[in-house]
Amino acid sequence: MTKHDVKNMQGVHHGALMYAQEYKDGLMDRREFLSRATALGVTTATAYALIGSEPAKAAAHAQQGGTLRYQMEVRAPKDPRTFDWTQLATVTAGWLEYLVEYNSDGSFNPMLLESWEANDDASVYTLKVRPGVTWNNGDPFTAEHVAFNFTRWADGTAEGNSMAARVASLVDPETNQAAEGAIEVVDDLTVRLNLLNPDITIIPGISDYPAAVIHPDQDPNNTIGQQLGTGPYLCTQHEVGVRATLERNTDHDWWGYAAGKGAYLDRIEFIDYGTDPSAFVAAYAADEIDLNWESVGEYVELFDGLGLVRSEIPSGFTIVIRPNQLATDADGKVIFEDKRVRQAIAMAVDNEVCLELGMAGYGIPADNCHVGPMHPEHAPEVTRIPYDPERAFELLQEAGMADYEFELISIDDDWRRNTTDAVAAQLRDAGFNIKRTILPGSTFWNDWTKYAFSSTNWNHRPLGVQVLGLAYRTGVAWNEFGWSNPEFDALLNEANAIADADARREVMAKIQAIVIEEGVTIQPYWRSAIRHHKPGFVGLERHVADLPQLYKMGIAAS
Amino acid sequence: MGLFILRRLGVMILTALCLTFIVFTLTNLEPNLEKLAKNQANARMTDDQVISWLDNRGYNDPMLIKYGRWLGVLPHFTREEDGEVVYSRCATPGTTIEEAGSFCGVLQGNWGWSTVFQNEVLEILGVRGWQTAKLMFFVMLVMVPGALIVGVLAGMKEGSKLDRSLSTFSIGTTATPEYVSGVIFISLLASPMIGPNWFVGSAQTAMDNITFENFTLPVLTIALYGMGYIARMTRASMTEVMTAQYIRTARLKGVSFQQIVLKHALRNALIAPFTVIMLQLPWLLNGVVIVETLFNFKGFGWTLVQAAGNNDIELLLGVSIISVVVVLVTQLISDIGYVFLNPRIRIA
Amino acid sequence: MEPLTWTGNMGDVLDPILGITAIALLLTSVLAIVMSFATTTERVTVNPDGTIAAQPGLRGLTAKAQVYSLYAFLATVVAYIVTGMVVGWQGGGIVGGAMQAFTPVWISLVVLFVASFYYKRKLGLYGKLFDSTIGMIGFGLVMFWVFTAFYAGIFDMIYMHDPLTQVSGMKNKVPGTPMPDVDAAPYPFYLLGGDNLARDVFSRMVLGSTIVMQIAPLATLFAFMVGITLGLPAGYYGGKLDTVLSFMANLILAFPVILLFYLLVTPEIVLTGLPNYMALILFIFPLIFVGVLINSRYRTQPKTRNLYLGIAMAVGGLIYLSLVMDQGAPKPIFRLWPGGLDLFDIPGQVLIVFVSVVFVNSPTVFRIVRGLTLDIKTRDYVAAAQTRGETPWYIMLWEILPNARGPLIVDFCLRIGYTTILLGTLGFFGLGLPPESPDWGTTINDGRRLLSVFPHPAIVPAVALLSLVLGLNLLADGLREESLRD
Repeated sequence: MTKHDVKNMQGVHHGALMYAQEYKDGLMDRREFLSRATALGVTTATAYALIGSEPAKAAAHAQQGGTLRYQMEVRAPKDPRTFDWTQLATVTAGWLEYLVEYNSDGSFNPMLLESWEANDDASVYTLKVRPGVTWNNGDPFTAEHVAFNFTRWADGTAEGNSMAARVASLVDPETNQAAEGAIEVVDDLTVRLNLLNPDITIIPGISDYPAAVIHPDQDPNNTIGQQLGTGPYLCTQHEVGVRATLERNTDHDWWGYAAGKGAYLDRIEFIDYGTDPSAFVAAYAADEIDLNWESVGEYVELFDGLGLVRSEIPSGFTIVIRPNQLATDADGKVIFEDKRVRQAIAMAVDNEVCLELGMAGYGIPADNCHVGPMHPEHAPEVTRIPYDPERAFELLQEAGMADYEFELISIDDDWRRNTTDAVAAQLRDAGFNIKRTILPGSTFWNDWTKYAFSSTNWNHRPLGVQVLGLAYRTGVAWNEFGWSNPEFDALLNEANAIADADARREVMAKIQAIVIEEGVTIQPYWRSAIRHHKPGFVGLERHVADLPQLYKMGIAAS
Repeated sequence: MGLFILRRLGVMILTALCLTFIVFTLTNLEPNLEKLAKNQANARMTDDQVISWLDNRGYNDPMLIKYGRWLGVLPHFTREEDGEVVYSRCATPGTTIEEAGSFCGVLQGNWGWSTVFQNEVLEILGVRGWQTAKLMFFVMLVMVPGALIVGVLAGMKEGSKLDRSLSTFSIGTTATPEYVSGVIFISLLASPMIGPNWFVGSAQTAMDNITFENFTLPVLTIALYGMGYIARMTRASMTEVMTAQYIRTARLKGVSFQQIVLKHALRNALIAPFTVIMLQLPWLLNGVVIVETLFNFKGFGWTLVQAAGNNDIELLLGVSIISVVVVLVTQLISDIGYVFLNPRIRIA
Repeated sequence: MEPLTWTGNMGDVLDPILGITAIALLLTSVLAIVMSFATTTERVTVNPDGTIAAQPGLRGLTAKAQVYSLYAFLATVVAYIVTGMVVGWQGGGIVGGAMQAFTPVWISLVVLFVASFYYKRKLGLYGKLFDSTIGMIGFGLVMFWVFTAFYAGIFDMIYMHDPLTQVSGMKNKVPGTPMPDVDAAPYPFYLLGGDNLARDVFSRMVLGSTIVMQIAPLATLFAFMVGITLGLPAGYYGGKLDTVLSFMANLILAFPVILLFYLLVTPEIVLTGLPNYMALILFIFPLIFVGVLINSRYRTQPKTRNLYLGIAMAVGGLIYLSLVMDQGAPKPIFRLWPGGLDLFDIPGQVLIVFVSVVFVNSPTVFRIVRGLTLDIKTRDYVAAAQTRGETPWYIMLWEILPNARGPLIVDFCLRIGYTTILLGTLGFFGLGLPPESPDWGTTINDGRRLLSVFPHPAIVPAVALLSLVLGLNLLADGLREESLRD
């Protein structure tokens, strides 16, 4: 696979070639290169070849068959495009598959697509559908189905459809539907996307967990009752909050068998133990589970002590503790209007302490700008305003807010709550007057974008610009910061188009600097994504973005 | 007697109506509906989307009308677009709008649809209730004989050392709430880190297969807290009986102490505890909720927590009907039982 | 600095003694119980002079042995306390440090017990408590926490670290761990270790008592006011009033407590202003109670009555309005009262907990009071008062109520314990009190998650809660026994 001749390279996107050069010049790390090159339609193998390397091989081989017991919250199913929890997608992934998959090494692999290509300025994408894929009702999978799904995703009027923001460059802002001519079926196996503006995030967007591909006959709200999909499993039991079971669909010839993809296990049981990790300890001790969803904080060592295998990956999972710049208090005062107050908050908090108390040290400190080393475009030279509690209090006094009582809100769980408590304690130490409020999970999300001062967790996204576009751009739905900065918006547009490394890093450096300087948020650390499993399994490694890749799981061949 | 039961039944229905209306009102307050919408559709929904979501499902109608619909005395909510019915509350997933009748309340046997579990409320209550019934059976099996033995032994001889020790023990158990004893049990007897690992700190597997290891701790945790109270009642009743005239007579006649306790005292001493045990049943629900949460046993109490936490209106109403009926039925049984056991009381 | 051991130097001497006395106490207790089975009757001999002498026998011996080993055990415990008070953590390790911290509580307890014991014949039911060992132990436990709450809450004594300050490096540290920066710290150790957020477990436990001691007795008192104000007329008049009130009480009682709390104590309900409305209704009962109490007593002397009633209503009214009105309430009606006259605001979450606890407890109190009234109203002295032409409210409040005080006081003690457990239950489900609050229920809930690795953050408040509730139960038991002897 490493020997790709020059002829083969000619079909490769010029951007990818440029990136390869940058990688060789040391301007870009491997992860960044893989993300950027594969997002443009270069296969992972080619991408590795471009830089003279090869993908890591699976360490152990799996045997066919077996059962896996997986501790995971089993949530009420709903329309896939409205999924707001990866756990939902993990169950449906048994039969609902994705066009593209995103991998922990940063690369994008085609799944139901065979390949894709972007034009030079990333405004037209040509998608090739994988031939030979069939639905489990016997229908062949065609370009029409792909177009149907894109149209569904682009429907901004549907309640709770978060895919619309991911394929925003297809959506006509007038009608809030897919723009006329944007999704074009060329032939049975080819779809062309004509984007309204250049967008390098569209492939990362359709690899995300709500982008499960469904059949046009499917009732999207009844995915469990009518399991129409392309995948190797079927859900034979589904009881919300209790358990769900996937079993191999023996009547269906999954395309992946021929492609050597795996799907080793015969049966996967998801067992719900709630959200309290001490229950997982009991479950492991009682030999009721083989794999847990996530290990956080102190539990990491606890699970290690039980003789379990730890799977750890540095990721973009993070938390922001942010003021909302539009929020007003009971007297109508805009609390965080003054930049000095926001800066004071950021300066009073030592991010290392948050990491220690919130995550038991599992992760790396961050720089309050929500772009980090796991993102390809991160500019590492831009750092936070230095920690200086005395100066913070002076700023607060200058702004006349020294006596003001700030209410700091968080959700009631383990690490989010502890981190927010750590922030509150440090602010108090610096002289702030802080009141802490903790809301139960069921209530917290009601107003999460509107709380004056609160913490929110954010998932890993392949590109740094994705989160910035989802949450920091003026007026977007998830802009919980109440922040609007035209200069930032313009720079973000620039960063979404393609440019060479120096220019791009320059833009990102500016973006990061603005976010930090404006005191938009405290973003204390990037936490390591960790989970544990019993020895004797393969393919159970934690995914960098928790995306479901059930077909990789198996029992190790003895 | 028949009239008495009939009257009690009337009161029961009235109570159930009042209570469900209160629950209905509390769960249908505006902030709760917003929570429901965000749970159902998308946690990160805008305000306008919330309002349209609620409007489209009839949640914004007047309270009494909604309650009437739930009860089944008013026709259910339908939404029409261009003269065509596009949404009907009776059409639970799986049935089409045409199939759905126009009344679908509790009176029609339709307890509604759980928004959290995506299932029929009645079915959930059946499955979960059965789990809790098993738990309660074992709790009763441990608690009642234990409490009676402790109470009778203590009450046999008031003021003796045995009485003092057992009374202190009963007081101790009533002073140890489930969330304290459960926590201590798990850490001492079921932790892989410290102490002997005799039991399992999770009752997850007990839902399909009850074993000594996985069910002892939850049962013990509930039983212990309830035991003290019944034991003290039994002791009080026993001491009263032991000072009664006919016992004294028996003693003077030279009947052995054993004979007195077993043949004469016991039967009369157990009347009062019987009512207490029956009344204890609903009170145990508290313990069930805590223990099911602590031990991950998915029964009725766990369902209650899930329903309340997510504002699952119809499930919550179902849960409250069941608990109210349990409370009232046990009260009724305890009254009737008291009459049967105590020949001195007759109710017209 | 070195980490502290549990008992330090003083343990070298006292620990073995404690072990021996404890074993002795255990053995003699078991023996005494066994003996009480074995021999049923005491040998009684009648002396020639007509006196009766009971021979102590084996049973008497074991009983005596038990008493002596109990004394020995208690003496050792006292030795720990006294030595600890003197030597502190330097000589007494963790226990010594803790005993020294509690110094003001020990002194107050000794003063209280000595004084009460000396004057016990003049103190009525309270004095009789000191005739019962169980009652005294219970009273001691309760007063320990009352004094702790008092000194910690008002004088900032006993605890040494701020309950909310998190010290980096102290997360989940075992008891007796020294502070990382000893010179800057107010106290060189975390006596009972650090919790999950590196806060001092000991200080949180001490300050937790302040919160519990504020809410539980006060909420119980309010529940009693409501229950008495409604229960007396229901029992006295009977009829329709009784039917309606009893139905409502049964209605609330038929509610599973936990369901009620889940419905009431949520942030959404606070938003609707419901707790404020409930406070508006529930908190007026004490005002009515006091008003009627004074009015019925001084009805015949209008001048005195007006004076007392005026003072009571003015003070009570101000407190009532301060309690009910909240300048930050979601509904404008609760902000009517001018802020200057609003003495204190109770945060919505605390208010809802308080109101809910009162709401849940009042129907039971109502039923008890109603039952007692039904019983007492048939007595002669009630009939006498009726013939005297006293008003019904005078009879209820000044004839019936004082005669029902015995069972009511006993129930009051038990109910405070029950309320404490209830508050803990709320904390267990994360409902109710503010999340950082050091109250015991919340801390147990926080600590239980890591219980199997770090037991101390959960065990310490659990033991505290256990001892208080146990104390209240023992106290109630002692009171019941003594009041029955009347």
